[in-house]
Amino acid sequence: MADYREAPLATRPRTLDPNDYFNLSPEKRRADEERAALRANLKRQYQTQLNNPHRKELIEDPALTRWVYARSNPYPHFRPTFKTSLLGFACGVFPLFALYYIFKTDRDRKEEQIKNGTWDRKFCLTS
Amino acid sequence: MAGVGFRKWAQALTKSKGTGISALLSGCRAASGGSKGSLPGSYPTTPEEKAAAAKKYNIRVEDYEPYPDKGEGFGDYPKLPDRSQHERDPWYKWDHPDLRRNWGEPMHWDFDMYIRNRVDTSPSPVDWISMCKQLFGFIGFMLFMFYIGEKFPSYQPVAPKQYPYNNLYLEKGGDPEKQPEEVKNYGI
Repeated sequence: MADYREAPLATRPRTLDPNDYFNLSPEKRRADEERAALRANLKRQYQTQLNNPHRKELIEDPALTRWVYARSNPYPHFRPTFKTSLLGFACGVFPLFALYYIFKTDRDRKEEQIKNGTWDRKFCLTS
Repeated sequence: MAGVGFRKWAQALTKSKGTGISALLSGCRAASGGSKGSLPGSYPTTPEEKAAAAKKYNIRVEDYEPYPDKGEGFGDYPKLPDRSQHERDPWYKWDHPDLRRNWGEPMHWDFDMYIRNRVDTSPSPVDWISMCKQLFGFIGFMLFMFYIGEKFPSYQPVAPKQYPYNNLYLEKGGDPEKQPEEVKNYGI
């Protein structure tokens, strides 16, 4: 198992992660404690709202609101660069013309063959 | 009463600074949804903006890392590690246990991809090289054997079908007066 290689884009098992064994320091401890403090604050807010006996409405999650807002409003932050315009071209313009060309040539070829009488209907059940 | 309300509305309309239908109708933004300061904004350039954005998203200032500003539409949304919800502790008391997420926790941009029904980035039980060897070994072996089977087919011995009555002489339209030639399909 010493030469375990993880799948691309997957993570390494925690027991084989060298950071867990070698890079421990007081700074990392402090950082973990700060993160835990933030997490505890959010937990406290949520529990207060959850256990409030006078609450009649749903508990609104601002992180969810922000996520939905960010995902549905990307255009104000969009800027046409080389990469974004290339991507737009590849997904929007190129398939249009490519598919038109492919379907047109294929259908014309079939039409030619039918007119010549060389069209080979392999799996035809009606004759 | 209604006249007073109408007059106030007309006054508000003339003073309103916004544009569009919403300004025409009410002259101000709705109170529902987040306030302007709590919604995602544009890419932060100064350290103060970075600190404010980190506070907004409930992340430490050192942990906050926005997506690089390449005009791809992310704004100041934080770049969280690409980890699926499969990897989170199943035994911790999450606020939303099926999503393995706490209330108010910043969501990954691709959160709906990383839920437990979809993409899984958790470590594989066997390492990558073994998995590749097993899969491609099996596929390769099967392809090779099918190829051999095509080259050297093996089946029960067959012969053309033999019919009685002199190869069905009468049924095939032979002359009843004429005597057909004797066809012998067997030997004893």
